[in-house]
Amino acid sequence: MTTAPILEVRGLSARYGEVVALRDAELTMREGEFVAVLGPNGAGKSTLMRSIIGLANATGTVRFRGAALKRDPAAVAAAGIALVPEGRGIFGPMSVAENLQLGAYMIGGRGPDYERRLARVLHLFPRLKERLDQVAGSMSGGEQQMLAVGRALMADPKLILLDEPSLGLAPKVTAEILESLALLNREGLSVLLVEQKAPLALKLAGRAYVVSNGRISAEIDPKEITSHGDLARYYFA
Amino acid sequence: MKAGSFFALALAASTAFAGSARAEEPFKIGVSVGLTGYAAAVDRSWRDGLDVAVDYVNAHGGVLGRKLELVVEDNKSEPQEAVTVYRKMISSDHVGIFISGCVSAGNFAAAPFVVRAKIPMMLCSILPPQPEQAAWAYSFLAPPRFEVEKRYEYLKNHTKIRTVGVLYDPSPYANFQKTLAVNAAPEFGIAVPVVEQYKQDDADFSTQISKMESADAKAVIKIGLGGSTLTTAKNIKQLGLNTLLLGSVDDLAVLKPAGDTLGSQFLFVATPSQVYDALPQGALKSEIGRFLPLWKAKQGERDPGWAGKAWDAVMVTVEAIQAAKSFDGEKIRAAVETLPPHQGTGGVYNFSPTVHQGITVNPFLLGTFEGGKVVVKD
Amino acid sequence: MATSPATILRNPRQWLGQLPLAFAVAVVAYAIIDGGYIVTVVGFALIYAVFVAGLNIFMGYAGQTSFGQNAFAAIGGYASAVLTATYGWPPLAGIVAGMAGAVVCALLIGMPTLRLKGHYLAMGTLAIGLIVYEIAVEWQSVTNGYMGISGIPPLGIGSWELESDRAQLIFLAIVTALSLWATWRLRQSRFGRALVALSGSEDAARALGINVGRTKLIAFVISAMFASLAGSLLVHIVGFISPEMIGMNMVILAFTMLYVGGIGTTTGPLIGAVVIGLLPEVFRGLKDYQDLVYGTALILILIYAPGGIASLGRLAPKRRAAR
Ligand SMILES: Nc1ncnc2c1ncn2[C@@H]1O[C@H](COP(=O)(O)OP(=O)(O)O)[C@@H](O)[C@H]1O
Ligand SMILES: [Mg+2]
Repeated sequence: MTTAPILEVRGLSARYGEVVALRDAELTMREGEFVAVLGPNGAGKSTLMRSIIGLANATGTVRFRGAALKRDPAAVAAAGIALVPEGRGIFGPMSVAENLQLGAYMIGGRGPDYERRLARVLHLFPRLKERLDQVAGSMSGGEQQMLAVGRALMADPKLILLDEPSLGLAPKVTAEILESLALLNREGLSVLLVEQKAPLALKLAGRAYVVSNGRISAEIDPKEITSHGDLARYYFA
Repeated sequence: MKAGSFFALALAASTAFAGSARAEEPFKIGVSVGLTGYAAAVDRSWRDGLDVAVDYVNAHGGVLGRKLELVVEDNKSEPQEAVTVYRKMISSDHVGIFISGCVSAGNFAAAPFVVRAKIPMMLCSILPPQPEQAAWAYSFLAPPRFEVEKRYEYLKNHTKIRTVGVLYDPSPYANFQKTLAVNAAPEFGIAVPVVEQYKQDDADFSTQISKMESADAKAVIKIGLGGSTLTTAKNIKQLGLNTLLLGSVDDLAVLKPAGDTLGSQFLFVATPSQVYDALPQGALKSEIGRFLPLWKAKQGERDPGWAGKAWDAVMVTVEAIQAAKSFDGEKIRAAVETLPPHQGTGGVYNFSPTVHQGITVNPFLLGTFEGGKVVVKD
Repeated sequence: MATSPATILRNPRQWLGQLPLAFAVAVVAYAIIDGGYIVTVVGFALIYAVFVAGLNIFMGYAGQTSFGQNAFAAIGGYASAVLTATYGWPPLAGIVAGMAGAVVCALLIGMPTLRLKGHYLAMGTLAIGLIVYEIAVEWQSVTNGYMGISGIPPLGIGSWELESDRAQLIFLAIVTALSLWATWRLRQSRFGRALVALSGSEDAARALGINVGRTKLIAFVISAMFASLAGSLLVHIVGFISPEMIGMNMVILAFTMLYVGGIGTTTGPLIGAVVIGLLPEVFRGLKDYQDLVYGTALILILIYAPGGIASLGRLAPKRRAAR
């Protein structure tokens, strides 16, 4: 680990009304890392993602490439962080093309920058290219997930957060999507992947955090995890 | 299938507009009335009165050899809807005259087009405010101040009461009448120390009435329609006061319970046709006598007030056509303004080039109930 | 969503989808040629199309609910009426002043109410519509209360007035066409996509950097401008305004037109306004049964075209997607 940190999360807590969903989370990522966040349902993984990008009612600090992030999603997006939300969050009534355009919302018009990004996304997910005019809601789940990832990439992020992209998808499709993430990571994109399906994530990630009961309970090295039993130790510690 | 049903609709629409038959024999009277909405009660009476009048005229040979025909359109008591139905009656039905209901705003909104088409308007409502529009409109409404003045007149001529309280509801018409009541009082040497509002659905006005009592008001001028008159009567009785209660023009069915409660302490402003039996012989009684049996034959005991005015509007129209010897709008209009005074069921109508609200002499009477029967006091 | 002209040319099957629009345009053309009282009916329909087009931006695109759009029609209508009839301003100046007033009011009203969501937003806007109606009734010195304001001049530019019904209808057709074109352009823009995005998921929209609060507020303001324009047009065409003309019935009618025409579609407001404007005339001969048949027709339309008449055209691409 010689590169500078891209993301530093310090003492991040979040609540929904009276319910505290995240307590004093500490997390560090270096440039170009692929980090997984694991944990059972309801542990607080999504809340952690939402807190990082300023969507949740959170306290604590998040630093991105050394600078403190404002708790404002637009500022976070402008800084270079994109989220692929849980359940994809694509806009069903709009066309695939429009969804992708929305991904590049922060750069405004369709300049050469935009065309370059679009070409990259369509190269990564050729299936979207055939469906540019199709209403996004009418596509299959896998295609919708590709669109969600593609839309996030349209912002040309330095760090991409993915919240359970495998949800509701066939293993083959999930593998295809995660494969492209690995490719992007090799090209330099930092990836923070939330997954309940630990084995999937651990195959790709260089490092993993385990979240349980609203806390980051462990940091693990995937190479040390060889069996289900190993993992369960962390989950239920 | 879906497209099919849609085009059936389109087809229906286009055929509906295709044939608008030209007027042949009968002379068409356009009627814009609020059969639904806030004006429904009055305007339904107005329409039914027109029905009776037109049947009567047609049974007696029509006018200048032509029968009359009503074209009735519901304006839903809305101005915009009134514009549509007026336009329809002008360009599709080719009506020769309008005898329309009491939706003032609707009549105002349509007035510019009606004037451009040179069609006279006989109205149950007040006149449009623009002079060039009022020039083609004739109102059969009695001036609102008459309703108040009749009561003051009575107090002045028949009682020693010179101090009254005004009790009114928040409706626009009552609000307007209240202002008239306050402004007209000095003319009759009457003081109005207390002016109190009530809400139509309140069940007790004792507070307002007590205030009037302590200000030495010996009569209550009540302005507003409906059951609130009975409530007032009951409250006066419960408080054991000898205050007079003078009610506004209303349906007899509404007024009678108040009379049953307060007896001779209750008086009300009556239209002539409401007190037909108590009227002295004369032109008024014989005109009502022409209308009332026909009305009762069709409508039973329903209040004849507004319907009688509709009858009057038809009769004035007929007289004007006969005088003009023409069905031309401009000629009818000229004739209306030069007709001799017309004795109607609702008073004497005397239109002239400068007077378009035909009733200039107070036609109202002051009634009371004696032994459950209506008696005229003045 | 909206179909670009180019797509239509590329895909002849979509011609079928434009038939409802063609019908609406044909009705307008027929009215211009015929010149009878259908001119009045279609004229009102076109004015409502402008009103509904604005409502469509806020409800169809942004997915919010406003029961108070009549408030802005009232602002435009009364501004035009008072400024032209009482103070002798030219109509165009009155329209612009009304729209400016509507913008200011929409900002003042929108900032607190747009924090509300769902039913609360609906109730909040409903209250605004009722309050403005009450002001129109009570502020007698300006509005003349229930008696209304008459003698409002017809539309015109300079000393040239649109006297004839036909000229007015042609003018209204042009204004409506421009309004629909404006909403179409708006829908295709970055701002339009942001609106549809936040209607789908406010959080997902925020995550993309969309300022949800400000975007909603702008949509509200734009829809208020359309409403104000419609209110001004209405009073110039009728020559009169009174509170009943800008009451709740306006909102009910507009909602019916929006849903029958096709909420969220570009041409839906025009199609809905023309169909809903014509239906009572088609059934007028039925007298007492008119309301019953009208109601039945509405229900049938909503059953057989649940997405609105404009979306009937989308059957073609949908079937293709299903294959
Ligand atoms: N909008 C919300 N309102 C109230 N509680 C919530 C909300 N979202 C999540 N929670 C609660 O916060 C906790 C963490 O949820 P979440 O972050 O979604 O977990 P995970 O993504 O790990 O499944 C859970 O107990 C959940 O019930
Ligand atoms: Mg989650």
